[in-house]
Amino acid sequence: MSSFIDYIENTFADTANNDTLYRYKRLVLDKMTERANEVTHTGLHDEKVLDDLIISEFPHLKENYQKFCAEDRHRRREKALNKFMIFGTIGFILALVVLYLAVSFLTDAWSQTWLLIVGGILLWVIFLLSVFIRRITALRRLFHPFARVLLALSIMAGATVVFLFTLVVLHRSDAWVIYPIAVVLMYVADGIYAYVTKQKLRIINYLIYIPAAMPMLYVVLGALDILPWHPGWLLMPLSVLIDLAMIAFRSASNAKYRYKQEVDDEWNAN
Amino acid sequence: MERKLNAELWDKMHYLFRDFNDRMVHVELHYDFEIDIEALKTVLICFFEKAPVLHSCFKDNHVSPYWIVKPYHIDDVLTVSHPDNLEEAVNTFLTQYIPPDSDLQMQVAVFFHEGQSTLCIVENHMCMDGGDFKYFLKALCKNYNDYVQNGISPIELREGTRSFEAVYNDFSQTEQRMARNLYKNVCAKDNHKFPLTPDSIRDHSFIARRKISAEKFAQIKAAGKRHGATVNDVLVAAYFYSLYTLADYNPSDSVTISCAIDLRRHIKDVSDEGLTNHTAFMQCNIPERGRDIFQTLQYVVHSSNLYKKDKFMGLYGLPLLKLGYNILPHAASEEIIKIGYSNPLLAMSNIGILEVDKLALDGHEPTDGFMTGAVKYKPYVLLSATTMRNVVTLSMCVRGNDEDKRIVERFFDLMEKNLDALTVE
Repeated sequence: MSSFIDYIENTFADTANNDTLYRYKRLVLDKMTERANEVTHTGLHDEKVLDDLIISEFPHLKENYQKFCAEDRHRRREKALNKFMIFGTIGFILALVVLYLAVSFLTDAWSQTWLLIVGGILLWVIFLLSVFIRRITALRRLFHPFARVLLALSIMAGATVVFLFTLVVLHRSDAWVIYPIAVVLMYVADGIYAYVTKQKLRIINYLIYIPAAMPMLYVVLGALDILPWHPGWLLMPLSVLIDLAMIAFRSASNAKYRYKQEVDDEWNAN
Repeated sequence: MERKLNAELWDKMHYLFRDFNDRMVHVELHYDFEIDIEALKTVLICFFEKAPVLHSCFKDNHVSPYWIVKPYHIDDVLTVSHPDNLEEAVNTFLTQYIPPDSDLQMQVAVFFHEGQSTLCIVENHMCMDGGDFKYFLKALCKNYNDYVQNGISPIELREGTRSFEAVYNDFSQTEQRMARNLYKNVCAKDNHKFPLTPDSIRDHSFIARRKISAEKFAQIKAAGKRHGATVNDVLVAAYFYSLYTLADYNPSDSVTISCAIDLRRHIKDVSDEGLTNHTAFMQCNIPERGRDIFQTLQYVVHSSNLYKKDKFMGLYGLPLLKLGYNILPHAASEEIIKIGYSNPLLAMSNIGILEVDKLALDGHEPTDGFMTGAVKYKPYVLLSATTMRNVVTLSMCVRGNDEDKRIVERFFDLMEKNLDALTVE
């Protein structure tokens, strides 16, 4: 064990001591000791070999220390955020209730002010969902579908806030269009998420989303008199054409990367 | 907490081959002195710690399989004995089967006999192929020597990724995209079989071997040079010609033999790679037997040259396998891949030279030895070839009966006869 301590101390001889470094050194020493115990049970009796073997398993202590520091900072930030989320939720709800009561008593518009509570809670839920989406995105790709579901939920929650506001405050009878718009936004957001996180085979998502979103867009544009119902229906065949164009474009760009040995031979011969 | 290792694409593929072979790779090395067992144990422990896949059990998870690193004792890895009948002890050891869900994926034995030692190792092909197994042996010998002679700790074994994707790393970006787009099913589609007896519950594993002398090997090399062929081409030509006689194929039939190729040819520096599999197969096809073995050789040379010209030799099919394993859970992808995959009935693996200077232990070069691939289940066969001290050892591992042994011996007789015919000046 003393050789492990020497190795760690020598590696960090020129690094200023602080609490983080101490914790890192302790962690490394614990891991090395644990590994040494494991290897001893295999029947290795040569102490020098054991020491060299274990030390060889921890080759980049300084680089790993930098990572440890970065992780440590990240952990602290996450801890602070967790506290904020717990106490913030309580504080936010209390503040909302106070605001709701104050505005209601002052304006006597009880039929509308309840929106403050519902809208406020939904906006807080969207904030919490965004935190979870960020955390899940940092995990392995295997978990990304959960983030995509949460993203869709947050858009629907946002749409609900807008819908209630439009209906209750603006008294618009066509407020229902918010939901078809939200569905289109869900597809767009998921497509952007797939692009940003470099999901494999995301082209399949796009090929499905475009024809799926187009009827919603058709209904919205038609209902709001932006586009006449006829020939607005052409949006649907247009979506299929867009899909075909995407397939053709992708095939053409992939063709550049198709290996043709005879072309290569010709090139080499010249 | 249990340590897990990722099951790489080739681990899964070799696991899928369980219906065709026992997935064991074998080596036998003879030394004219007594190996220091304590030193060997120390080296082996260090190597097992450096390559944890060797003491891991394969977990066939239906969604995504993985390895679980297991505790072990070196006495469970290394067997030491003084057998009266060395040949029988070696054969019994070499023909053992290590299940993938066992805690150890490699077994080592040292047999002492009349002041000499025989080192035998059997390992699961899922952990590494013949190429890395050869490296493992050389590293074992080098580390043993450094430890015994200079007291240097035996920790010099390559560590790193086991991913198949290492084969792409040295390509340019455009080449990488090209190579990753080689979606092609490259399976052999030839129904010509090696004429073994039908399967029987009484079948047992055996390793048939035949040595080709150094003089004959020199003649083979010279003959190859005369005909613009490599040693491998000559051996494959003799393999083809012998099969036509042995199995009585119609001389006008086209036959295909799958030849193993080492994909490390695409990796400039393997020093950062872990022990793994980087082997693919090329289909060596001849349109007919040819009027004589020289014409067969011409066909073989033509076929193998087609592959050699290809920049992406052996990389076809990898993207398809990756896609198969990525988009579906493991259980489903296995079933899908099984539909598209057809295991070659006839295969050959030229493992290459076993360099005696690099396999020397404490100044003693091995006096004899060979390496061979997995025990194939009928009707599949694999002919392995290794060269040591210019002596070629042809070997075939079969799960069969005494009649199959005779058939394989007859095949080796024909191989020798055809090699004789090829080397006539």
